[in-house]
Amino acid sequence: MTGDDASSLRLSRRKLLVAAGAGSLSIPFIRRARAAEAIYVNTWGGPWEEAARAVLFDPFTQATGIEIKTIAPVSFAKLAAQVRTGVYEFDVTTLGVSELARANHANLLDKYDESKIPAASLWPGAVTLNGVNSHAFANVIAYRKDKFPAGGPKNWAEFWDTAKFPGSRCLQNYSARVLAFALMADGVAPTDLFPYDLDRAFKSLDRIKKDVRVWWSQSPQSQQLLRDGEIELIGMWNTSAQQLIDQKVPIALSYDQAVIDVAAWVVARGTPRTRNAWRFIEFAVQPERLAQFAQRNNYGPMNPASFKSLPPEVVARMPTSPENLAKAVVLNAEKLGPQFDVMAKRFEQWLSS
Amino acid sequence: MAVELTRPALAAEASALPARALLVTLLRPPVILYVPAALFLAAFFLVPLGLVVWMSVSDPEFGFGNYATFFASRYDLAVLARTFQTAFVVTLASLVFAYPIAYVAARRGGAVGGFLLGVVALSFWTSFLVRTYAWMVILGAKGPVVGLLTALGVSPPPRLLFTTFAATFAMAHMLVPFMVLALYAVMKRIDESYMRAAASLGARPLRAFLTVYFPQSLPGVVNGATLVFITCLGFYVTPTLIGSPQDKMIAGRIGQEIEQLLDFGAASATSMILLAAALALFTLYDRFFGLDRMWR
Repeated sequence: MTGDDASSLRLSRRKLLVAAGAGSLSIPFIRRARAAEAIYVNTWGGPWEEAARAVLFDPFTQATGIEIKTIAPVSFAKLAAQVRTGVYEFDVTTLGVSELARANHANLLDKYDESKIPAASLWPGAVTLNGVNSHAFANVIAYRKDKFPAGGPKNWAEFWDTAKFPGSRCLQNYSARVLAFALMADGVAPTDLFPYDLDRAFKSLDRIKKDVRVWWSQSPQSQQLLRDGEIELIGMWNTSAQQLIDQKVPIALSYDQAVIDVAAWVVARGTPRTRNAWRFIEFAVQPERLAQFAQRNNYGPMNPASFKSLPPEVVARMPTSPENLAKAVVLNAEKLGPQFDVMAKRFEQWLSS
Repeated sequence: MAVELTRPALAAEASALPARALLVTLLRPPVILYVPAALFLAAFFLVPLGLVVWMSVSDPEFGFGNYATFFASRYDLAVLARTFQTAFVVTLASLVFAYPIAYVAARRGGAVGGFLLGVVALSFWTSFLVRTYAWMVILGAKGPVVGLLTALGVSPPPRLLFTTFAATFAMAHMLVPFMVLALYAVMKRIDESYMRAAASLGARPLRAFLTVYFPQSLPGVVNGATLVFITCLGFYVTPTLIGSPQDKMIAGRIGQEIEQLLDFGAASATSMILLAAALALFTLYDRFFGLDRMWR
């Protein structure tokens, strides 16, 4: 709790409680709002932030004079804590489909309306549950080529097939994505995936549990495990897998049955810097800027106009290129919405029992 | 010792003239010395702790629902039981590792003792996170242990990382310094002449150790075991990073309740249960051994 901005200390009972409590001694140290305006953006750090700094943050500051400060890493829990306590460490963050649905349900997000970003500045379907869709990433199958020289699993059923593809497996500790893998492994067609048949999904997971040695939680961790050969098969983000390929690590990835998740920009409800936060989001999803940001990270831009400025060989590497998208499924926030809490709890219990 | 000598005098004053005694107590130099620390603790420990207590009974609604849910959940109880079980095994293991080190350091003294204590201190000053990553390298698929086993012809080489063994071993390693220092402090005060007396009465070294030395070192064992056990109850990073998925301890559960389930009330209640467990152990210790002995 760095309490970086005095203007967030509006008086309310809850805020007073917090101010009187955890923050009491820090009040004298809280910086006064400076003459120059600033907004605080929650980032993933590393290459993500470098790319965002170069093509989104610095150009925004040049265009508007509003400084952008960053806080890493992305923390969903912190977003919730901020709104509860009224002490804002960041104003803007990106959320995946499942966090977006849960955050919106928990009333953590500033409501979108056309006064925030004019519709002319966006595209049809740009806004989902008060988040502005920015870029897509795919959860793909990747494997060590040295372990499977004749080719690894092409879909989740094969990933589940430990007889045909023996080896240590690794999946993300993230229920909404893993349950989609499990259902497709059990033969559910991508079109029938949502909402999830939870019983069937967990039954399918039971079959692979003992072969999953690690459940990764941070993307550098997933890369390290695969790079070191600690595991041989993994369900991971296309962005991190592509980085490994670019570093000449002997791995391959498959977009078949990839589970596509969408990152959306959101504004934390109640932050005193709402107006500038929305201005930044509007700026960040403009076609060419978003195209550059997506290209640097191998994301798929959600603004359809972005593709116009990209060469075809770059588009081919993106999870939302027409060819890759046809083989993939996109997580459906609306149909999964009521399931997220239940599945997260059940998944945690399943994992550690 | 000086402080202890004044206690009876203070007590006498207190019973005679309570108000004056209080004033005297308040104006005594030690009080002035501890006021900054007390204020600091109140602001940055007691008040936040109070907020956690409040959250545990008020979120999402007022009452003990979060606690009831915890104790009604077989899953949560299993995590709690596993936490205690792990702490027990880790305590035992760190005692086995630490006792010989402390014994040699205390009895040999000089360069050997200094060297041993230096190594322990260095390890003590290295952060838990760094040491956890070090174990990831050492036990990893391309690490020295697997390399050695492969060279010795063990095929296929065993998977060491992400196992209960790895987590337990690493936690024991991290807590060995606590145990060594607790043991050393007690062992250093054991009078060498007892051992010489035992020898002169015909006891072989092992017999002398078991009947003369070991019983005298027991206070150190109890101190060390209490410190290690309670520290281990709160371990988070190590089991999460290098344990098997089934090794979740209660601190990991709290992290998950906040990070993934956004259930601040349940996380607060779980934290209070962990705190209560630690306090219960301290109370037992205080009852049987006296809390002030831990730091002597």
